[in-house]
Amino acid sequence: MMISRRAVVATGLTLPFLAVPGRAQSKPGHLRFGLSAWPPNLQPWVTTGVSAGTVKTLIHRSLLSFNNKGELAGELAESWSLDAQGAWVFKLRPNTVFHNGEPVTADDVKWTIEQIADAKSTAFMRSQFQSIVRIEIPDPSTVRLVTREPQATLPTWFCNYNVHVVWRHSEANNPIGAGPFRLVAQERGTSLDIEAFDRYYKPGLPKLRSIKFIVYADENLRAAALQAGDVDMIEYVPWQAMSAVEADPRLKLDTQYGPFMDILFNGTRGPFSDARVRRAVAHAVKREDIVKVAFFGRGKPLEGVPIVEGTPWYDAELAKGWAYDTARSKELMAAAGVPNGFEAVMLATAQFGMHKDTAEIVQKYLADIGIQCELKLPEWSTRVTLGVRGQYDIAVHGIAADNNDPDGLTIVLDTTLPPSHGRSFGVQASRTAELLARGRSEFDQTKRVAIYKDMQRAAIEEVPMVGLAWRAQGYGMDKRVQGFTNLPGALSTSSGGMLEETSFG
Amino acid sequence: MRWFLHRLATSIVLAWAVATIVFLTLHVVPGDPAEILMSTGGVSPDPAAVAELRQRLGLERPLAEQYWDFLRKLARGDLGTSLVDDYPVVSEIALRLPRTLELIAAATVLAVIIGLPAGTYAALNRGGLFDRIASAMAALLLALPVFVVGTLLVLLLAQTLRLMPAGGFVPFTQNPSQHLTLLALPAIAIAKGLVAVVFRMSRASVLDTLSRDFVRTARAKGLSPSRVLIRHVVRNSLTPVLTVLGLHMGTLLGGTVLVEYVFNWPGLSTPLLRAVEARDYPMVVGIVLIISILFLLINLIMDLLYAALDPRVRAT
Repeated sequence: MMISRRAVVATGLTLPFLAVPGRAQSKPGHLRFGLSAWPPNLQPWVTTGVSAGTVKTLIHRSLLSFNNKGELAGELAESWSLDAQGAWVFKLRPNTVFHNGEPVTADDVKWTIEQIADAKSTAFMRSQFQSIVRIEIPDPSTVRLVTREPQATLPTWFCNYNVHVVWRHSEANNPIGAGPFRLVAQERGTSLDIEAFDRYYKPGLPKLRSIKFIVYADENLRAAALQAGDVDMIEYVPWQAMSAVEADPRLKLDTQYGPFMDILFNGTRGPFSDARVRRAVAHAVKREDIVKVAFFGRGKPLEGVPIVEGTPWYDAELAKGWAYDTARSKELMAAAGVPNGFEAVMLATAQFGMHKDTAEIVQKYLADIGIQCELKLPEWSTRVTLGVRGQYDIAVHGIAADNNDPDGLTIVLDTTLPPSHGRSFGVQASRTAELLARGRSEFDQTKRVAIYKDMQRAAIEEVPMVGLAWRAQGYGMDKRVQGFTNLPGALSTSSGGMLEETSFG
Repeated sequence: MRWFLHRLATSIVLAWAVATIVFLTLHVVPGDPAEILMSTGGVSPDPAAVAELRQRLGLERPLAEQYWDFLRKLARGDLGTSLVDDYPVVSEIALRLPRTLELIAAATVLAVIIGLPAGTYAALNRGGLFDRIASAMAALLLALPVFVVGTLLVLLLAQTLRLMPAGGFVPFTQNPSQHLTLLALPAIAIAKGLVAVVFRMSRASVLDTLSRDFVRTARAKGLSPSRVLIRHVVRNSLTPVLTVLGLHMGTLLGGTVLVEYVFNWPGLSTPLLRAVEARDYPMVVGIVLIISILFLLINLIMDLLYAALDPRVRAT
């Protein structure tokens, strides 16, 4: 008798926690979006990750963007062209206003570029914008950019989610943008609310009235939240959950092969300073195993320079330049004077399963050609520092190019740039770097294609990095979410801007 | 009073020692806050921009100068601002700490409501069916890792049955029922271990008290069984239960990381974890310092509670 009374009391006291179904319901026109990380900040020109980039792209706008086919499209600029003197000229769209009602002018564009290129700037695109030597304003709606050297890819700079035009009188901690949405509320570390800006310059857009971004740092919980109906859409669908999302009749999945895994080298010491040894590594790894184990089959082997399939620069033969061939690897090792292999330290991180799993598979395959790697798997922050200092022999990394133009791979392939954790350390690959520079300064498309194919040939020989696997970048969503496009290839991480064309319910 | 002042002084010295150790350790391990912040998402930042940010954050200054600056600010009660977004550390703690305390309090209440009566009943019916089943359950609850329980709860109640949200947070003032619904699963996940601990301690303690002379005397005096149980047995059995609860509550202040992460509950553990990853020195030191102070405070409160429960403690 006493048991049941207490049991009843205890149960009764827990009921308020269990019985109230106080969950938020979906509402047409209002999208609930599961972010993978809380944006460390929303400064318009500083890189703070893809999640921050998604929010920034919606509250700010730049001169150009990528449309849903991945092509350049006008935003605050309605047209852009190269003039006879080789300068880029942007004509601003009329009747565009910032969120405070002030018109977007050429002065705002000039001021924005000056801030990004400033000597004390911490902007992501700072070095690119520092190559602009003069900003001219021939009339209030035209901006003319004169660069130190010809810059064929300059328009793409304005599509990066870390380049936005800001009202020139903004306070430092309150940048005012001209995007389709306005930031109206935020619960620090938890959620951000944006509402449609009623004076946005594109008629009929944005289609949504509001978006609530809710942060789910744990990838499994993010997927669970989508399946439970707590949110209507999520980014970074974990590979292991993709099948479940596809199988759910209420949901759909949109994936693109954008980011990729690669091998980096320390070229300042030991056998990896020899391109033949690096190439031996490139031929030694069976990529299918990485796709299967690290990405649950949601990836694609990458056996060449990471050029996106379907782009003009893609070449089916060159894409197999580092095909799995153990015999070739052993020949190259012998030619380099290390037929019996050697020992090396392999750096990756245990913080991200895909990095660790990929590193373990690479370790196994390198052992087959005699390279015995000791795995060093610190947490991400230490991994970054060790990478920048070159404290490794060989490293496994994951990254995405800036865009689908081969110039977007400069951050990975150009080893003449200062040290970075995402680039090989001190590797000599001068022909690759030189061809990248030539491609950047060539405006003729046919010639550019030829240059970048030569660049791929050079890279296959010099091996500034080794491509391993493309990984699927997925957005999961309720089937009532319409109009969203996961942008192709490397642009996938810039797809946040597509939310202006998205409707719900 | 002297005892209290002595305890207070010791606590302050301990808190300073903790802050100093954390400050120095963080600066010794590899990791550059500027480089890490600008590498978010795996991108390769421009080294010149990284250098500029490092300069702006004052990270180029000698360590001794940074430490002295930290101590001067600490003496004024200023814990500094986050290196990531310049947000005041004190404000972050003020925002997050109540949520963690709420989670711990909810879990503790659940643990006491279930564990104490169950433990007492099991002791009174030692060797009975309930005792055997409850003891086995307690062992099982202790053995199950918290993230397994958390994930199973999400899988069952959120993903499969769709009865509960998978996780998250809504302020109580904004939507009380949703707030409590979101609190339920993480509170249960934390409480599962505490229930087992409280059950075991209560059972052992009641068994011990039942064999004491004063209980026999109380019964011999003709007091009713319920009065003997509540006034003499349970009350005198509470001290060890409180000790264990106090220790666990202190540990939970910094130990709710997994639960907060699994259920997306934005308490103090999440920014601590994120700050360690980002090498956000002021944030880590500030949070650890506050957790240490609270831990010391809980110990102090527990000592005072012993005194309230047991006159012999007051006498000493």
